Amino acid sequence: MNVFKAQVPAAEASSRVRRWQINWQQQITAYAFLLPAILAFAAFAWWPIFNSILMSFQQVNLVDASKSSWVGFKNFERMFLDPTFAASWRNSFEFAILSIIIGFFIPVLVGILVNEMRWAKGFFRVVYFLPSVIPPLIAILVWRLIYSPQPGGLLNQIVIGLGGRSQDWLFNTSLTKPSMLIIMTWGGFGATMLIYLATLQDLPIELYEAAEIDGASVWQRIWHITLPHLRSTMLVMMIVQVLGIVQIFLEPFVLTKGGPGQATMTPVFTLYRKGFLNGDYGLAAAWSVLLMIVLGFLSIIYLRLTRSTPNN
Amino acid sequence: MESWNRGILSNLELQTWRGRLIYLGMVLVLVLLALVVILPFLYAFSSGLKSNRDIYSPAFQLWPDVPLWQNYTQAWNYFSLPRLFGNTLILVIGGLAAQIGTSLLAAYSLSKLKPIGGQFILLGFLVTLMIPGMAYIIPLYVTVARLDLLGSFWGLWLPYGVNAFMIFILKNFFDGLPSEIFDAARVDGASALQMFTRIALPLSRPIIIVLAILTFVNLWKDFLWPYLVLLEVPELQPVSVFLFTVEQRSTTPPNIQMAGYFMAMLPPLLIAVFLQRYMQRGLSIGAVKG
Repeated sequence: MNVFKAQVPAAEASSRVRRWQINWQQQITAYAFLLPAILAFAAFAWWPIFNSILMSFQQVNLVDASKSSWVGFKNFERMFLDPTFAASWRNSFEFAILSIIIGFFIPVLVGILVNEMRWAKGFFRVVYFLPSVIPPLIAILVWRLIYSPQPGGLLNQIVIGLGGRSQDWLFNTSLTKPSMLIIMTWGGFGATMLIYLATLQDLPIELYEAAEIDGASVWQRIWHITLPHLRSTMLVMMIVQVLGIVQIFLEPFVLTKGGPGQATMTPVFTLYRKGFLNGDYGLAAAWSVLLMIVLGFLSIIYLRLTRSTPNN
Repeated sequence: MESWNRGILSNLELQTWRGRLIYLGMVLVLVLLALVVILPFLYAFSSGLKSNRDIYSPAFQLWPDVPLWQNYTQAWNYFSLPRLFGNTLILVIGGLAAQIGTSLLAAYSLSKLKPIGGQFILLGFLVTLMIPGMAYIIPLYVTVARLDLLGSFWGLWLPYGVNAFMIFILKNFFDGLPSEIFDAARVDGASALQMFTRIALPLSRPIIIVLAILTFVNLWKDFLWPYLVLLEVPELQPVSVFLFTVEQRSTTPPNIQMAGYFMAMLPPLLIAVFLQRYMQRGLSIGAVKG
């Protein structure tokens, strides 16, 4: 390579040559650096994603791929006809609506309030963030005892202390979804709040000054200045929240096994049951394909939003 | 942190009784919320100190009359927590090394070594961000089963090497490093590997630390994948998987359970308290570049 370069005399010619000439040695190095990532992605992301499409048209043999047989759209047919199909997605929808009511505005409000603090800001930030770092599974096991209908259950003790009636929080059809969403909100609002706090740092305080001079009340300032500033972040966070809600798995898996009735059956939990408990990997793959379409669609909206908003 | 001229309320308003009342209301909301947030931790801690009888007492009692500290030593041995923490640490450190190692190399190559078709490879990495892992956990499991990696740490470490988000962050970071440094080193005869280890790595140390802490906590939190891979080998299971399987199989008294859960929560809690600056910076990287 070097020899070849040395044979070209004029500088002009050499630059023209270099435009199409490939430095193979550099290319080999470049691909050597890329190799671990390419291998990892090929084996544990690209192939499984592609394979889930293949598997959804197969009756899958877990041990030996060559013994899997093609069954056409049968898996999809079975998926759509299964009564848990409608129940799972309806639950997802209900979870999404409820989670927006219960959990969406808390981090917005808390972010605004923490940003307003003149002292102990750091303290609140850390405390609210703590539930986000512990393993969700352990948190759920603790919450199971908080919700316990037995005498030691914390929530019932508090409710009774306040003059209410004890409830079976996780196995009452109308309470089970909100109860799970409270666990999720507890575990996640602190991290989301930090994102709102970061967004609030770019809000020019002159706006508040001008509003105050114009006689705007505190509530009017929040409504007309703070919230509009947070709007684009809120939109992004709403998509993130729905993305998380569609993937609810651990809470039903640990706490209710999809019950009471089918009240907490979710798509991922159903997929888990079809695949890992029933060993019906083809049917589970059909569920995977549908989930990929739904989640991919939401992710594209998310990526669109984060590209186009000036704050991000 | 920042010099405070004002918030929504001005300092002048805070001198008035009205302003003070509003501010006090805000503080009250936040303090109450902080108590609610801490309550489950407190409940786990104090339940761990209760006797077998007190734990079923129907009356609300945050602190037991006679705290039984020996519950904690009992839970420590009963759940064999040292082994569980050891397993979790091995799993997390290996996953961390795989993830940061592959991501650093790939990001450096894409940014500085200009591979032909690099754009397409980057796109291939980023496409995986659109499909959360939950959606293809079944075929991933099938792949890992066919590679005969079930029941070993390799079945966790290798898939943990996939993180398109980290590649993206690091590539952006490397793109921001001035190319003059690298050109100068190349003129001095440095190889690509030397430039990577002597220039790129030292310069990216701050961002690597932030990403490493974030990844550490995230891998420590992971449950389903370790559960699926290590289902048959209890002696390798990390802390949340083992505590779950024990909880499913036996009837451990709730006070011992809670003592165990509280101790299991401590390591990540300590990380969050002591390394919070790094963690919060990591989160904001995620939020801004997401």
